[in-house]
Amino acid sequence: MADDDVTTPAVDDRNPAASGDAVTEEKKLLEYAVQELPAHAVKELISHEVCVRCIFRLFIIHEGIYALISPTILYSIIEKATEVEAVTTNSSQKSEVKSSICSICLGVMQFIYRDQTDILVEKDHAADFAMLVAESVKEKYHEIASFTLEVSLPTLITENESVILSHMKKKYASEVWFQEKFSFEHIISVKDALKLSITPSLETLLGVKSSVSDFRIRLTYEHVDAPSAENRMGKNQCNKRIKSGNGFVNETVQSGDVSDFNFQLKKVGQPCHMILTCSTAPVYIGGRYLKLSRNVSQTRWIIDDERKGEASVEELIGENILPMCNGDGYKFHAAGREDIDVRMLGSGRPFLIEIQNARHLPSEASIKEMEKKINSLESNLVRVKHLKIWGSQGWSLMREGEAEKQKQYAALVWISRSIKDDDLEAVSSLKDLKVLQRTPVRVLHRRSPLDREKIIHWMKIEKIAGSSQYFLLHLCTQAGTYIKEFVHGDLGRTQPSIGSILGCRTEILQLDVTDVKMDILNE
Amino acid sequence: MTTQTAADQESQPPVVVDDDSEEELHKLLLPNINDLPISPPSAMESNFVTYFAPDFMKPEHDQYIYRHANGLCVIGLAAGHVAFKDEGVVTAVDFNVGKSNRSEIKVTGKRKRNAQQFEPNTALCKVCTNHAFYIVRCCVKGSLLEVNERLIKQPQLLNSSADREGYIAIIMPKPADWHKIKDSFITFDEYKKLRHF
Ligand SMILES: [Zn+2]
Repeated sequence: MADDDVTTPAVDDRNPAASGDAVTEEKKLLEYAVQELPAHAVKELISHEVCVRCIFRLFIIHEGIYALISPTILYSIIEKATEVEAVTTNSSQKSEVKSSICSICLGVMQFIYRDQTDILVEKDHAADFAMLVAESVKEKYHEIASFTLEVSLPTLITENESVILSHMKKKYASEVWFQEKFSFEHIISVKDALKLSITPSLETLLGVKSSVSDFRIRLTYEHVDAPSAENRMGKNQCNKRIKSGNGFVNETVQSGDVSDFNFQLKKVGQPCHMILTCSTAPVYIGGRYLKLSRNVSQTRWIIDDERKGEASVEELIGENILPMCNGDGYKFHAAGREDIDVRMLGSGRPFLIEIQNARHLPSEASIKEMEKKINSLESNLVRVKHLKIWGSQGWSLMREGEAEKQKQYAALVWISRSIKDDDLEAVSSLKDLKVLQRTPVRVLHRRSPLDREKIIHWMKIEKIAGSSQYFLLHLCTQAGTYIKEFVHGDLGRTQPSIGSILGCRTEILQLDVTDVKMDILNE
Repeated sequence: MTTQTAADQESQPPVVVDDDSEEELHKLLLPNINDLPISPPSAMESNFVTYFAPDFMKPEHDQYIYRHANGLCVIGLAAGHVAFKDEGVVTAVDFNVGKSNRSEIKVTGKRKRNAQQFEPNTALCKVCTNHAFYIVRCCVKGSLLEVNERLIKQPQLLNSSADREGYIAIIMPKPADWHKIKDSFITFDEYKKLRHF
């Protein structure tokens, strides 16, 4: 082939990445490959507006799909080999050939599509398209370790491809080339062709390998007016029809070659819409929290537009961590909970924040930063400690740990008589005391009426200087014990209670959790 | 407006909880004794609103209805009930009244299966003294969630703490039914006046 055809200036300008030499090399390979194509069949495919890359795809010529060569030159190669001159009646000019939407891939392999903002994008080849994809990814995600490329295509592509293939079979099944070279099983699908053609460039541009990854880049091609889609959806047909009127669907029947085939082939005058989305596996950040307020709920608690408490642990922590991970949202999980009017002190309670679609995986330093930020909030309602990144196993760990934990409390108690020294001994001598608790009246409206046996592992009375009737009761109990009821007795529905042990009326004024014993998140 | 500048704020070291500081924790736990009431309100007083039904169906058959914020009503004998008069001492409580023994109904599940729907005048139990017996009634229309079974073996709970461990039953009225009937009850203050406590 003559050199003057190769050095089309446009190619080098548009694709600085591909050197002239590389293009020459690719072109040579292609020219060699196309020589063996059945000219009349290729000619017919072109007449049905099948794009060059789809032709290469159907004939399993990899070089043609992945070559960093513009469609114009691809056509020139194929034209020379097959002596196609004026391609079809309605696309006799090369420029038109290039931009008419492929009847099979709907422009996907031509790298023609409308983007999110409905702007028509048209790229010469895979490397140019990959560049756009990579830029869009890098805009939002700064640190990725690897990626998985996913492609979603309209079913019309498969439908049209099978129409064309069955037509080819009907027409050329007896010919030698068809029997030798044409294999339905080995045809490279549009999906694979697209993935294979842009993956190497994406790897280079993003600087990471493609693999089975938590980070997914998804290209969703949609052809809104695809008739098959319309049938599937059933509804909204009126709307679709109106759009068809705008020329989205253009079912052309070409004169001179009228067959069933042309009626079955849904030709489309417009390229697909392409939406690029990225997603990451959630990032888990766990630790223990302290709740220093008796007016802060554990989770966001809003009833009839009215917030219970002045804030929530969930939000105070989540809202401060989320921006540092640049995620879309967060979920808060904690091992158990305390009532809104109960403080969580001492060891703190294990929790896990699940950051959805985090674009930034925080470093150890920035985790420390988060901890500092939350702990120095002016409101001073909540603090965190032992903050660190957890794998997805963190959640199940938290569940497991929850089942086995003990909890330690400090209750401010008042009794209806003066405290005696005997009381201290009476209480502290009780070890692993079995307590029968009927579902407390305060939760009986929403919980099952049941008698539950719980264990109070130990108790200790701490006198308060200056008061003969108030004391601090320190106690360690099995998880799930209702402490308030164990103190005041709940109308005698918890047996025994501090009241029944001391033989007087007993009231609880304040309750704090001082330790949640769990094997996780201890340091 | 605060006069504090950003620089001032930054110069203040953030408050950090010392993880191992028992002292720090203890400081948080200890109340200021001067802030505490000499005698704090009881759990009943702070969690329930008290209503009274004096002379319910019969003279001096005074009952209380303690309504929790969650809508449940604890029913019992008010201090002025005739059973406590003239050195009266409750000697027995019998839940075997009406068609069924009230203490044998086992309500189960969050949805309170088996709970019987009772009217205000439905009998809950019979309270016996040495001289007489008195019928205690629901006072409110609703589902009977439980009766105080301890009273069967320990009827003296009614003598020592009728307003706590000696309660008779817990009833869950529908909000609409409650609103219809609550105005027929009187407050604690009105009751005190009525019975000259
Ligand atoms: Zn195509």
